Amino acid sequence: MNTATAKTTTITYDDRTVRQFMIASIVWGIVGMLVGVICATQLSWWQMNGKFIETITGGLFKGEGLQYITFGRLRPLHTNAVIFAFVGNMAFAGIYYSTQRLCKTRTASDLLSKIHMWGWQLIIVAAAITLPAGLTRGKEYAELIWPINIAVALVWVIFGINFFWTLAKRNEPSLYVALWFYIATIVTVAMLYIVNHLSIPTSWIHSYPIFGGLQDGLVQWWYGHNAVAFFLTTPILGIMYYFLPKAANRPVYSYRLSIVHFWSLVFIYIWAGPHHLLNTSLPRWLQMLGMLFSLMLWAPSWGGMLNGLLTLRGAWAKLRTDPVIKFFAAGITFYGMATFEGPLLSIRAVNALSHYTDWGIGHVHSGALGWNGFMAAGMFYWLAPRLWKTKLWSSSLANMHFWVGLVGILLYVTAMWTAGITQGLMLGEVAEGGTTLKYEFVETLKAIQLPYILRSFGGGLYLLGFFFCALNIFMTARSGKATDDTVEVAVPEKTYDRLRFGEALFSDPVAYCVAALAMMILWFFLPPHADKAALLATILLVIKAVRVFKAKGGAWDQWHESLLRNYLPFTLLTFIAVAIGGSVQIVPSLLVNREKNIEGRLQELYTPLELAGRDLYVSEGCYNCHSQMIRTLMPDVMRYGRAGVKDDFSHLGESLYDYPYQWGSKRTGPDLAREGGNFVQGSDKVRSGKRDNKWHWFHFMNPRWANDDSNMPPYPWLYEQKTDFKSLPNKIAVQRQLGVPFPAWTKDEIDQQAREQGMAIARSLFEGSSPVGYEPMKGASTEELVRHFSESQVVALIAYVQKLGTYHEIHKDGPPAAVPLDPDSYRNVTDKTKAFGKGETSANP
Amino acid sequence: MFKRVILEDWATIVPMIAFGVLFTVFLVTTLRAIRLKPDEQKRMADLPLNDSDKPSDP
Repeated sequence: MNTATAKTTTITYDDRTVRQFMIASIVWGIVGMLVGVICATQLSWWQMNGKFIETITGGLFKGEGLQYITFGRLRPLHTNAVIFAFVGNMAFAGIYYSTQRLCKTRTASDLLSKIHMWGWQLIIVAAAITLPAGLTRGKEYAELIWPINIAVALVWVIFGINFFWTLAKRNEPSLYVALWFYIATIVTVAMLYIVNHLSIPTSWIHSYPIFGGLQDGLVQWWYGHNAVAFFLTTPILGIMYYFLPKAANRPVYSYRLSIVHFWSLVFIYIWAGPHHLLNTSLPRWLQMLGMLFSLMLWAPSWGGMLNGLLTLRGAWAKLRTDPVIKFFAAGITFYGMATFEGPLLSIRAVNALSHYTDWGIGHVHSGALGWNGFMAAGMFYWLAPRLWKTKLWSSSLANMHFWVGLVGILLYVTAMWTAGITQGLMLGEVAEGGTTLKYEFVETLKAIQLPYILRSFGGGLYLLGFFFCALNIFMTARSGKATDDTVEVAVPEKTYDRLRFGEALFSDPVAYCVAALAMMILWFFLPPHADKAALLATILLVIKAVRVFKAKGGAWDQWHESLLRNYLPFTLLTFIAVAIGGSVQIVPSLLVNREKNIEGRLQELYTPLELAGRDLYVSEGCYNCHSQMIRTLMPDVMRYGRAGVKDDFSHLGESLYDYPYQWGSKRTGPDLAREGGNFVQGSDKVRSGKRDNKWHWFHFMNPRWANDDSNMPPYPWLYEQKTDFKSLPNKIAVQRQLGVPFPAWTKDEIDQQAREQGMAIARSLFEGSSPVGYEPMKGASTEELVRHFSESQVVALIAYVQKLGTYHEIHKDGPPAAVPLDPDSYRNVTDKTKAFGKGETSANP
Repeated sequence: MFKRVILEDWATIVPMIAFGVLFTVFLVTTLRAIRLKPDEQKRMADLPLNDSDKPSDP
């Protein structure tokens, strides 16, 4: 409500929305962390995948496992709950609170705030229902099915409109640092989310992403890495820039550092996605670019950390008495540690050891628990007394939360470092003589069981800390009264928001940045020698820019100050800064890495039944534990490749038709890229790879049958549930739309093929010298069993697993030609890169 | 004089030793902090924490 006078106006802030988001964040945070603790225990005790319910219900529930709570389904629920529900709601609370005060105006629309708040909670509820039900897109942090994706995009747009509308109405001419970070968050998350969720539906609950294979991987990690950047980092940095000075009662340490920190962070972060795909079949130039920018990212990240910590100069004494400062100082310190570790892990040689192990899990949790969780807690303890106009119910309980949480994080992270490095070292160890590997995969799993248990304990402590927080905030709210702040603010003369886009864009700083960037990009893409000229031009431009800045620095400062008084040009420049990195990486990959340019291995097409099996693999979340990407590293090839096959790492063409790609990020179980094999003798429908169909049958039923120490859940429901044949024609039609060269089969042909292959695989199981049995159908005849299981999900899944790693060779005449936009094709600087270009393995990347 | 020690399973042992050392140091420090006498606790809590704008006591 605004009561305007000549020079001042009275503003009542909308703090109700802030309170709602804050409560939602605490509730969902506890849910998400609880699911995380369950997931952690599942890795130590397979019974936690459902068998334990038999014990706690005294036998009322009977079963080896419960499909809705397997690790493969719960882990996405945990990640989505923590990222989008816990941190998302916390960020919204912080953004709504600080934006109103920084703009000296009430949020533009109460209706939009309500739609945003309740819409977001509905999305979370939808996620909590669909993910355990096995409805997933099979891409990390992008698992939600397409109708929910659309809801997320709509709610995000509503949030964006509300935010920018508030900026337009502001009574404070200049945008404070926190708002810059919020702008970057809103714009970039929209861009990332929309592109990575582009899909073609096959039904109301299923879709295929429009990218496949390595392109899908590249887009996925452009999104995934930058979800960390622009969902878990930039909004929280904005919150840090607002709440930390408030809590410490000190100004931000350095305004100039804020400027450098902001622009360098938003520009560099977006390029770093490929560091999630190092040593894979991703083109080498992309890997190098990802690694280079990840290393550069260390500087802006630490710029932010230093700006935060140095803001506390002169306020360190408060660390002893004020839990808010405790949480903030520890949170920022964890941010510093995580952002040092990130670039370290992005070095290819380090990544060779760490990737697919728990080191990565430890790394993300030092960020999630230390940075996100502690910043959230600090903000909650600061906000609650102000939102309910009272005192914090218990400072000592908040202190207790801090120490319990801190011990939890340290235990968690150190346990994961230990587990990750142990497993990484063990997997790479060769036996004496160097021709065989020293350890079986399961031995490495067994070796890290103690750290796994300690991790569960550490996570449990952290969760306990958040129970303390919930109790403290609840009691604080009870002891006070929900109140919305009312303030009198001066209404400035409208001399801001007048800058034209042209004036903002056509200026020295932008011109030098754009020209230097253009030259740098040409340096990547131009052929040898021309690239050196581009590099030289880049260096000269940078020198010239520095000299101009030294001579006319004041003008540049003024330009930036005027930009801060004009939110639309500022937003446009932010968008340009974040759009460059993604475009330079993704567009060439979409144009070059296609079937027509493939030489060497090209994957075999899936049959209809194998495609159905693949969708089951995705649905069960198998990618959470199994990768399908044998890296170009000797130990990986020795372990997962096939004996006697040269260069048996995963090649680029081997996953070209995979929608979505399934390279995974973590190996809790072995790599499955070479699990499949050729047709068995006398059949054109039954394949047998490293293991035969019967082995897979028993293994899905009870993984302990194959290995006592396996922690894989049993999948008894796959034997009871039928494969969805009806959806196959639609799925294949969509895949054809996406460019997969399926023949123009009719519906009947698809159905018939799927059923015939199902029958053939079922016969391979129930006929012959040692048929498998099935206890619940003990009295059934062989024919009944074959008919029943030919339509079962387990047979479809076996069909898919037996197809993995099959390909045919594509030969092209003459030496490989240079391909425009593919730097790898004409840059053979050394023998080593030549060897990589030819796809030879390297024991020492 | 010196002999090289070669451990058969160094890859499994070394990270665990590292973890054990870290855990022990942390545990000992924590226990020491808990068992400090109240006046000693207060003395340590009052140690100046790098307040740049406050002259330190001579």
